[in-house]
Amino acid sequence: MAITKLLFASLLICSMIQSSHGATKERLFTDLEKGALEITATPSRTGQGVVLAAGVDKLSITWKVSSTATKEAEFKIIKVKLCYAPVSQVDRPWRKTHNELFKDKSCPHKISSFPYDPTVKTAQSFDYTLERDIPTGTYYVRAYAVDAQDHEVAFGQTTNEAKTADLFSVQAISGRHKSLDIASVCFSVFSVVALLVFFVNEKRKAKIEQSK
Amino acid sequence: MDIEGRGGESGTTATTTATRRRFALPVDAENKSTTFRLFSVAKPHMRAFHLSWFQFFCCFVSTFAAPPLLPIIRENLNLTATDIGNAGIASVSGSVFARIVMGTACDLFGPRLASAALTLSTAPAVYFTAGIKSPIGFIMVRFFAGFSLATFVSTQFWMSSMFSGPVVGSANGIAAGWGNLGGGATQLIMPLVFSVIQQMGAAKFTAWRIAFFIPGLFQTFSAFAVLLFGQDLPDGDYWAMHKAGEKEKDKVGKVIKHGITNYRGWITALAYGYCFGVELTIDNIIAEYFFDRFHLDLKTAGIIAASFGLANFFARPGGGILSDLMARRFGMRGRLWSWWIIQTLGGVLCASLGQIDSLTGSIVVMLIFSVFVQASCGLTFGVVPFISRRSLGVISGMTGAGGNVGAVLTQLIFFKGSKYSKETGITLMGIMSIACSLPICLIYFPQWGGMFCGPSSKKVTEEDYYLAEWSSKEKANNLHLGSQKFAETSVSERGRATTHPQT
Repeated sequence: MAITKLLFASLLICSMIQSSHGATKERLFTDLEKGALEITATPSRTGQGVVLAAGVDKLSITWKVSSTATKEAEFKIIKVKLCYAPVSQVDRPWRKTHNELFKDKSCPHKISSFPYDPTVKTAQSFDYTLERDIPTGTYYVRAYAVDAQDHEVAFGQTTNEAKTADLFSVQAISGRHKSLDIASVCFSVFSVVALLVFFVNEKRKAKIEQSK
Repeated sequence: MDIEGRGGESGTTATTTATRRRFALPVDAENKSTTFRLFSVAKPHMRAFHLSWFQFFCCFVSTFAAPPLLPIIRENLNLTATDIGNAGIASVSGSVFARIVMGTACDLFGPRLASAALTLSTAPAVYFTAGIKSPIGFIMVRFFAGFSLATFVSTQFWMSSMFSGPVVGSANGIAAGWGNLGGGATQLIMPLVFSVIQQMGAAKFTAWRIAFFIPGLFQTFSAFAVLLFGQDLPDGDYWAMHKAGEKEKDKVGKVIKHGITNYRGWITALAYGYCFGVELTIDNIIAEYFFDRFHLDLKTAGIIAASFGLANFFARPGGGILSDLMARRFGMRGRLWSWWIIQTLGGVLCASLGQIDSLTGSIVVMLIFSVFVQASCGLTFGVVPFISRRSLGVISGMTGAGGNVGAVLTQLIFFKGSKYSKETGITLMGIMSIACSLPICLIYFPQWGGMFCGPSSKKVTEEDYYLAEWSSKEKANNLHLGSQKFAETSVSERGRATTHPQT
């Protein structure tokens, strides 16, 4: 009866998982219109070897729809994302680039998402402060234009197709705190000292027992 | 001597002191309990059971606390897949050495002090996880925290000292199974603790650090409970009995020698490497396997990973109970046959898991496979208590260490780098399991037989087998009396009258 319960539970889990797969399996990145959005990202500090600090430094992002864009009528929402440059994807399969859009993991960090206003034709800008949970790495910025069915139709990115130009580096926060380090030391010392106290106590009890 | 252990009018024996001991459970000649009452906390037997499984559970939670939080830790510390793989290997390799040492430590100092000492001295590694800042730091804390898995040996040793032959398989199986449960529970506990801390306002990269204090504190307090409420043997603690002359301190060299020269210990070590070793490997890779192969999100993959470990709640105890049931009818031969069959079937299921392409099929096969592989772990420790009495700790330690060696080897050969895809690795691991379970056929006890042979025609008795570990000089000093009592109670391993020629 334990086996039947197990099989039933697993069937339940499987049906839940299957139903959570959307119908978006076939959409490919290569189907999207390249360069439909022109986008640049200027870090608040620039220069040779400058590394931006997460939580502190900003990006100034400027974008507009390119004159060569053909699918502009379908644009409903613009999603701007922070993406990993190839050097930050090495030996890290959880950041891998896939052609299938639902599998692609190279642009996990959301910068901003806003509705597209077709009446504004000029370049628009906004500032973005690097979030405190951005990991250390090398990045570029990509903007997707999304249609009414929440499917990507076009994109633009701050770097070239080979992803070698205009990249910027970010250093993550360490997450460490002095108070945590002190607590670690205190609890560790407590554990070891308690052990020694117990040992000494046992020896003492043994001596008393022997002298009885 | 009154084997009911109810004290009362029983007289004293030549070896024990004048104290009459009352026990809540019925006991045998060595005062080991002959029954197992799960919901009791009676001193000393059931209390020892609950203390030891809980301490082992806490150690397992600490050792495998990092994998469920890896998506956050790897971003904070900028880890690569190689770093993560190395840390996984480090987490199970530390305790290879620790398990061997723990075996000897239990033989010499008693399981209570040995296990609590280990647990308290590895707790700092868990606390210091909050302060790591690089991949090296990550590998180091996982390595040192992993030493605490050696409390497995003290659990088995303690149960083998507290519970008698007919129930030792069950006691060992339930204690170890509920301890191993920690590996599954941690996949649910750590993400929960992390999200609670995050909701209280901590940044992501700080919240996971704070979360590690929880397993650390549990580990520390479980060790305190063992020291304050536990007892090494039914008759008292080692130190009290040493001083009172009831238990003689044995010589380290002799204990180790009798352990490592017993070929059966090596076979159990190898076989355990391919049931428990497989379990540990799966604990480290299965979430990623489902995540990558079937494109599940991390939470779903984590739930599936947890369910593999959670099957330990009944699967490993089931193995121990099955071992005891088989022994009642068929004796030791029953234990060996059931162990070999279940472990081989586990290997077959593992090999097929890698071949299945559908998600539903994979989950079903994985769940059945988890039951078989964990039951084989329980069945292993139905046999181990009988291999040696003098060197029980060393044999338990060797077998336990063999489990971890299996995990290290398997991860190194099949799951490091990109030589084999994960599914191929899983299939090959299954095939290697089947091959490494074959030596079980070679285990032979002259007094009970082996899988393919009956007991020796020379009419070897249990006493002959266990007392062969003591020299005549040692026997003259009455050092062998513990083994003698054990030999008397182990006659139950002959099985029912019709299956053994000597009864």
